[in-house]
Amino acid sequence: MKKLLTVAFAAGLAAQIVSAPAQAADAETVFKFYCAQCHGLAGKGDGPNVTKDFPVSPRNFTDAAEMSKLSDADLRNVILDGGPAVSKSPMMPPWAKTLSDEEVDGLIGHLRMLCACEG
Amino acid sequence: MTLKRRDTNRETKMKRLLTTAIGAVGLLAMSSAAQADAAAGQAAFEANGCLDCHYTEGPAREKTIEDQLAKTGPELWYAGDKFVQDWLTAWLTVPAPIRPMKFNSLTEENPGDHPALSADDAASVSDYLMSLTSGVVESGTVKVKKNAKGRVIFSKKMPCSGCHQYTGRKGEPLGGNSGPSLAEAGKRLNPDWILAYLKQPETFKPVKMMPVFVGLLSDKDMANVASYVAYFGTK
Ligand code: HEC
Ligand code: HEC
Ligand code: HEC
Repeated sequence: MKKLLTVAFAAGLAAQIVSAPAQAADAETVFKFYCAQCHGLAGKGDGPNVTKDFPVSPRNFTDAAEMSKLSDADLRNVILDGGPAVSKSPMMPPWAKTLSDEEVDGLIGHLRMLCACEG
Repeated sequence: MTLKRRDTNRETKMKRLLTTAIGAVGLLAMSSAAQADAAAGQAAFEANGCLDCHYTEGPAREKTIEDQLAKTGPELWYAGDKFVQDWLTAWLTVPAPIRPMKFNSLTEENPGDHPALSADDAASVSDYLMSLTSGVVESGTVKVKKNAKGRVIFSKKMPCSGCHQYTGRKGEPLGGNSGPSLAEAGKRLNPDWILAYLKQPETFKPVKMMPVFVGLLSDKDMANVASYVAYFGTK
């Protein structure tokens, strides 16, 4: 019994260590989970947080003219450090402590797909 | 603590539950009256199907976005850290919407169809839920006040107000819809838990739509914003 317990405990511990780092999910899932609440599920800037008193419109990612003004480096910068890092509204949150590098790479690809444009 | 009427059947069940609770968790310091109510509350929690949507044993189980989206209700394993008991007991009898949106939905409004409990069951379930704690929340860390620094963080420096409802100076509803409403946060949430949640989000919610602010807000600023949030609905 004691041995069984020790084994179970060790297995539990190992499982915890192995699964500790957040797994990278696919870009669309990540976008819909974190970004769509403001930018909308289709990226049109119309998520459920955008009420009449929301101070600025979240970027419409399907607007190729606006989106092509931003390089991939610009996109990474604003996603990681938030609106104020690029002199934009603090309503665009900083995601540096939330998302992994791979997730941010995936998001940049997803935004380029939505705008069908390059930076 | 008021003693409730109970039938013998429940009494036996309760005794058995009590023994298990003492054996497994060793909650020896609790008063026996609180134990009795918590055990009856656990039985009522299970009998009412609450476990279908809420898990009550920590640590947090969610590892991926899919895990979080698969849930049909918020986790309750640290309910005793999170809630103000008077609010909890009352809410269980009249469960008015907390999240403006339906749980895990960005398109549907909260239908407000949460199951309600009788006053008796609500009292014991509330005792049971208040017995569930994480062991990491310190008490006395947050002084609740109309914290001016906290207000600037909440509505200007950081996007908190973009996702959470709160009440404006003239009592008007303001703010976003994707997070739980904080309009009544002072009545509902333990100020010390708010701070702990901001400081150690991975303990309580490893996967959530709210950004992690650790390293972006100092411990002091987290205490200021927790103080401000915990003031909502208290005056
Ligand atoms: C709380 C609401 C909110 C959330 C959540 C949010 N954003 Fe934003 N975002 C905004 C707002 C508001 C703006 C516009 C800021 C401005 O124009 O001043 C914006 C602007 C942007 C821009 C354009 C920046 C520029 O220089 O014009 C990008 C790119 C962006 N967001 C990406 C994202 C990504 C990716 C996510 C998910 C990880 C995300 N946003 C989540 C509110 C949000
Ligand atoms: C069908 C799924 C479902 C069942 C069954 C259910 N709940 Fe809930 N519960 C939810 C959802 C969804 C919410 C969020 C409600 C809201 O935000 O308004 C919630 C919220 C709560 C909360 C507040 C938690 C928080 O973090 O805001 C408590 C406490 C609670 N439920 C207790 C119970 C109890 C006790 C029962 C059994 C009588 C029960 N629930 C049965 C889905 C369920
Ligand atoms: C992008 C949207 C977003 C932003 C920005 C945001 N939150 Fe949240 N917040 C959420 C969501 C969504 C939840 C619920 C998480 C869950 O239950 O999975 C939450 C939960 C909370 C809770 C717990 C409430 C409860 O009843 O469970 C508190 C307190 C809180 N946020 C405070 C803040 C503060 C303070 C800030 C700013 C420093 C902030 N939030 C910024 C979306 C946001």
